[in-house]
Amino acid sequence: MSRRSMLATAGATLAGGALLLRGGAAHAQPSPAPTASPRAAAKAPARRDWLAPGMPGRDYQPVIVPNGAKLPWKVVDGVKVFHMVAEEVEHEFAPGLKATCWGYNGQVHGPAIEVVEGDRVRFYVTNRLPAPTTVHWHGLILPSGMDGVGGLNQKSIPPGETYRYEFTIKQTGTGMYHSHHDEMTQMALGMVGLFIMHPRRPVGPRVDRDFALMLHEWRIDPGAKRPDPNEMTDFNILTFNAKAFPGTEPLVVRKGDRVRIRLGNLSAMDHHPIHLHGYHFRVTETDAGRIPESAQFPETTVLVPVGSTRTFEFVADAPGDWAMHCHMTHHVMNQMGHDLPNLIGVKPGDLDAKVRTLLPGYMTMGQEGMGDMGDMGMAMPGNSIPMTGANGKYGYITMGGMFTILKVRERLDGEGDPGWYEAPAGTVAMEASLDELRKDGIDVAAPPRAEPGSPMSKLRG
Amino acid sequence: MRALFLAGAALLASGCATIQKERGHAEVAALVEERIGRKTRWNQGTPEDAEVARHLDTLLAKDLSSDDAVEIALLNNPALQATYEDLGVSQADMVQAGLLTNPTLSGSIGFPLSNDGVSETEFSLVQEFVDLFTLPLRKRVAKEQFIADTLRVAHEALATAAEVKKTYSQVQARQQLVELRRMVLEAADSAAQLATLQFGAGNITELELANERAAAEEARLELAQEELALVEDREHLNRLLGLWGPRTQWTLTEKLPAPPGEEAPLEHLESLAIRQRLDIDAARKQVELLWNALELSRSTRFIGRFEVGVHTHRDANGPRLFGPTLSLDLPIFDQRQALIAKLEAQHRQGERRLTELSVNARSEVRAARARLLTLRGVTERYHRVVLPLREKVVEQTQLQYNAMQLGLYVLLEAKRAQVTAWRAYIEAVRDYWMARAELEQLVGGRLPSTPGEAPPVPALPSPSPTQGHESHPGHGHGATP
Ligand SMILES: [Cu+2]
Repeated sequence: MSRRSMLATAGATLAGGALLLRGGAAHAQPSPAPTASPRAAAKAPARRDWLAPGMPGRDYQPVIVPNGAKLPWKVVDGVKVFHMVAEEVEHEFAPGLKATCWGYNGQVHGPAIEVVEGDRVRFYVTNRLPAPTTVHWHGLILPSGMDGVGGLNQKSIPPGETYRYEFTIKQTGTGMYHSHHDEMTQMALGMVGLFIMHPRRPVGPRVDRDFALMLHEWRIDPGAKRPDPNEMTDFNILTFNAKAFPGTEPLVVRKGDRVRIRLGNLSAMDHHPIHLHGYHFRVTETDAGRIPESAQFPETTVLVPVGSTRTFEFVADAPGDWAMHCHMTHHVMNQMGHDLPNLIGVKPGDLDAKVRTLLPGYMTMGQEGMGDMGDMGMAMPGNSIPMTGANGKYGYITMGGMFTILKVRERLDGEGDPGWYEAPAGTVAMEASLDELRKDGIDVAAPPRAEPGSPMSKLRG
Repeated sequence: MRALFLAGAALLASGCATIQKERGHAEVAALVEERIGRKTRWNQGTPEDAEVARHLDTLLAKDLSSDDAVEIALLNNPALQATYEDLGVSQADMVQAGLLTNPTLSGSIGFPLSNDGVSETEFSLVQEFVDLFTLPLRKRVAKEQFIADTLRVAHEALATAAEVKKTYSQVQARQQLVELRRMVLEAADSAAQLATLQFGAGNITELELANERAAAEEARLELAQEELALVEDREHLNRLLGLWGPRTQWTLTEKLPAPPGEEAPLEHLESLAIRQRLDIDAARKQVELLWNALELSRSTRFIGRFEVGVHTHRDANGPRLFGPTLSLDLPIFDQRQALIAKLEAQHRQGERRLTELSVNARSEVRAARARLLTLRGVTERYHRVVLPLREKVVEQTQLQYNAMQLGLYVLLEAKRAQVTAWRAYIEAVRDYWMARAELEQLVGGRLPSTPGEAPPVPALPSPSPTQGHESHPGHGHGATP
């Protein structure tokens, strides 16, 4: 049985129940429109192929979009109606760095769209940009004319005009949306968003926390105020939901929760291997839907290719503060310069004093690496953020960019950030005492030892 | 007999004419002082000269100012001192012109060759008298010549003063340019040092190291060239000031002043030049004296040699005879046509030269004024726009450095570009002051209103301290690693 015919069957079965739900929802305003307007009739397809609108809390558990927003809707004649406005947006990537981006409804990225399998959805898209635009519904099964490729499927929306998209959700999983007119520019400036499609009926084990994150990359020179869409390789701001650490909001869960994390990647040029500390997870979905349980595989790092989504799940049974980040090391740096002279191991000696006669305030940096670069207290270009991180419980966290923290706690007070994890005594790495060293026969002054790793190896010492 | 008395009186009068060493120089000194406010003095080997020498040493002991340098040159420039002697020569000519030709005394004696004769004696005293009639005119011509020479000498003095001012500005600028070259070397040296450290740590290739070191060595050689240029500029000034030995040890620390906030009004400079330029005045005098010389020749064209004398003669056995003599040229063939034609041509030539000088002076004044105004604009543009921009580039580069967007090499390059702009600025300011001295010389004195004291140009680009701006919030210790 094909998916389409399966959906059609499901639609028929659920039609009765859906009627009861019409007109009321947490996010939706009751529709004042008459049940069957001539206009609605005119644009309705020959055969009604959708169900009554799925409602949050009843038909689905809403996702959490850290640092993000959701697109509101109302129900009109059993159709979920959304209004998207493409416009210029002032966006803060992290405290200290703002830029003029392009997004939707005052958000960068655009607000997440959350619908239910079988919903009929109608999107009005108003273009307030200086350039034409379209919306492509990435990964969605829909009529060709609704696919949103400017020139191919439709006329691009001219500035100042509003176009309508309408289709029925025939799938479940994590999709995305983005501009498909001058993608290179418009996506680089932020015109992307998540498109969450919940199943009508729960699939698999019940999930307590469902997080949705969009991965993206940008080029913003320190002191500049607009992303550079012409950049091809040298991206310097890497984001989860358009925030770079320390601007990212932690993912907070209660111990024992079943956690789902959805990752979409609409970066210009990079795939991102996202690594979660502390857990083994199973990749349960791609952008084309659920992976059969027999095919799900355990992982600690999931590679999210450009133009794809990946969803993984795990049970948060280990309390703590757990890092989740892209494992490409340059993707956990903020606004790093990539043409720096290599100074590792250089001892400046009197060089600093000499240069200071020409350039007061000069200081050689980088001879021990970049670990200190977040907290030198030096004068910086306006509108820029340190290359790395923020203070943590035990010191400076030398991470930036695509980095966030999964906070798992026994108890939670409300929805806020629970603060740093208090590790039980004896479970934190700390300086070894002389006593311990003696007891275990460790001589810190002795030459360090290693043994041959293979029968062919010959090691000295 | 009357003529004889006359002759005697004239002889006596002209015999009194002597040469006064100081004459002429006083006029030169007055002319120079009137125009540039500094005295000239003529070294004549008198006790007063020792005074002058002491004054010179006093001036040289303190920090040399531009005005001091001019004063020293006027006192001590050897070429100028030689030129002053022209006045002595000219004055001698003038005195000579006031003297009559000396009378001629001639005598003869004849001895008889036989025994019956007596010796015969004859004496005559003859004075040429044409001089007497032309004397006043000749004196006038000679005087005019002397005045023209005085003007010419004063003009030389002013030219020397202008040259001193220009050279002074050159030395000033060169000292600053040397400092700036030193900064360029510092920057290149720092880059080479960093490269050496990086190479030592194994971080760069030998190629990169060699490039940085080569650049530093080139900067070192450029500094050496600049230092040599400073020595040469100082020696140029030494020559102008006539200095040698320990006197060459003068110091000059005064910085090149910035051009004055407002330029003196530069209208009517052409007519001012025509009015007060001494070389033009001298040319004018030259034309006049040529005219007088011509008049002199014309008025005496029919007067040839005209001699009056007394004569005594005694023949053998005869009585002694005594009587006047008169001899006269008959201007039948030579009526001085050639001389007059020559003088006429010379007079016309003088007039043409005067015209040429005036036309050229006007053009030179216009050109120098244009140069002055343009250079002023250039220095202002540097001061108000280019230098602040260069400073901003360094400042922003340093911020980008702090944010680790770029390395020390790029930062030093920004500094080098700033220093280069400063060099161009210093050169423009120097050229401005040289153009100003040139214009002053061309108008024959100070510009209408000499602007007040201008603040000195900052010696070096001010270091841009990296304060202000924002420090990243929330991170604390700010310690150096
Ligand atoms: Cu990555």
